[in-house]
Amino acid sequence: MQRPASRGPDPVGDNPGIGQGILARATGAKGWKDHGLLLWTHFLVPPVLAALVVAAAFATPVVAGILAAAVLAIAAVSARGLLSRLSRTEEARLSLNSQLIQSQKLAAIGELSAGLAHEINNPIAIIAQEAEWAEHVVREAEKNCNADFAEVRDSLREVRAQVDRCKNITHKLLDFARKREPVLQDVDVGRIIEDMARLVDKEAAYKNVTLTRDLPQDLPLLRTDSPLLRQVVLNLMTNALQAVDTGGRIEVSARADDEVMEIRVKDNGCGIEPENLEKIFNPFFTTKPPGQGTGLGLSMCHTLVTGMRGEIFVESKPGQGAAFTVRLPRKT
Amino acid sequence: MDIKILLVDDESDFVETMVKRFGIRKMPIDSAKSGQEALAALETKEYDVIILDVRMPGMDGLQVLKLIRERAPLTEVIMLTGHASLETGMQGMNLGAYDYVLKPADFDDLLDKVRKAFERKELNAKARKQGT
Ligand SMILES: Nc1ncnc2c1ncn2[C@@H]1O[C@H](COP(=O)(O)OP(=O)(O)OP(=O)(O)O)[C@@H](O)[C@H]1O
Ligand SMILES: [Mg+2]
Repeated sequence: MQRPASRGPDPVGDNPGIGQGILARATGAKGWKDHGLLLWTHFLVPPVLAALVVAAAFATPVVAGILAAAVLAIAAVSARGLLSRLSRTEEARLSLNSQLIQSQKLAAIGELSAGLAHEINNPIAIIAQEAEWAEHVVREAEKNCNADFAEVRDSLREVRAQVDRCKNITHKLLDFARKREPVLQDVDVGRIIEDMARLVDKEAAYKNVTLTRDLPQDLPLLRTDSPLLRQVVLNLMTNALQAVDTGGRIEVSARADDEVMEIRVKDNGCGIEPENLEKIFNPFFTTKPPGQGTGLGLSMCHTLVTGMRGEIFVESKPGQGAAFTVRLPRKT
Repeated sequence: MDIKILLVDDESDFVETMVKRFGIRKMPIDSAKSGQEALAALETKEYDVIILDVRMPGMDGLQVLKLIRERAPLTEVIMLTGHASLETGMQGMNLGAYDYVLKPADFDDLLDKVRKAFERKELNAKARKQGT
């Protein structure tokens, strides 16, 4: 297998930043605006000149004026149409590029971390066993010598706790790198969302957070992988719950048109700083305190969703909450 | 086609009703009272779907799930839980559970999930056969 990182010159290397498409969508596309002036000139100068010529030729200012105005209006409309089309294609290209880069990056990191986790797993297991054994020895010694080695025991307990933490991380990594071939079934998306929301409900209530569902009755079945979709939905809802304060609101919704099924998780929590918008799908990016977030949730979501040939993006203004949207194609 | 189902739960009342209810639908199921028992059962028979309680004395459900996924990767596991814990829910799904269901589960609902899980297992088995 070829590792994406070693593929020589990056085919999309001129892209200013990973996640640009996501960013572009969140902030309103830029990029294409630079061409704006050029295009306007390109479209407006010739007709203006033409109008001038006409005016000069007939030397009747009123008719020439009307004529020039008409030509100008037509040119403006056509320029506008072209511009908006250009901006759309450009935006699509950017988003495609960023999705591609993101997928390649995730694949590379996945391989790397799996290798790393494998290597580290064994020593960690041995450390855990040895610590356990040492604890046993200390307890025996205490019994036999009638002594108190409380401090040693404390320290060994701490060793085990930290080793457990490492184990957790390596397991998450291995899990992250596991290849998941989607298995396609007809899936009731509303049902999945409702099931996962029920898991979140209790903790949400505990935090005095309302979790509302907006699920149309006539939502069509989707051919997709249900456990993977459950993972994605659960991850997004968990993130939302972690982002809101007590009394916050989370809204989960789904809708479908002929082409795509769209699932949205929206909250009114802390939101995401603009400079972090393009980083949140990176593995290990987290703003949560150590021990609370590994930063693998969203990158996993990204991998799973692109694996299902869909896309995931975020819209957020800091302080005003965040909305994550997953779009999955309905035609397989 | 018969679905080979194993129910793992330490609550004997619950197990009894479930055995009865599946039985009424002509779907005989096996049961195990603990993780160890479930893993032992897995040695002797190949199951399509395992319904697994998360919280049991002795080996904890997530640990059992991990071992089942290692030893019988095709078998689908539906986790059952009395306590809606997000953390274990996430871990369960990450470890490859098919679904995570809150107790008390509506029986028809559970039946539906079992059928879906079975369908998935069959699809997986077919894909694997074609792959090799
Ligand atoms: N709904 C949200 N509102 C605000 N920020 C969010 C939201 N969802 C994700 N984020 C930001 O994106 C970061 C990455 O999220 P991700 O789910 O990948 O990792 P995590 O939640 O920090 O850790 P993990 O999911 O591994 O426990 C978070 O740390 C947080 O800063
Ligand atoms: Mg998360």
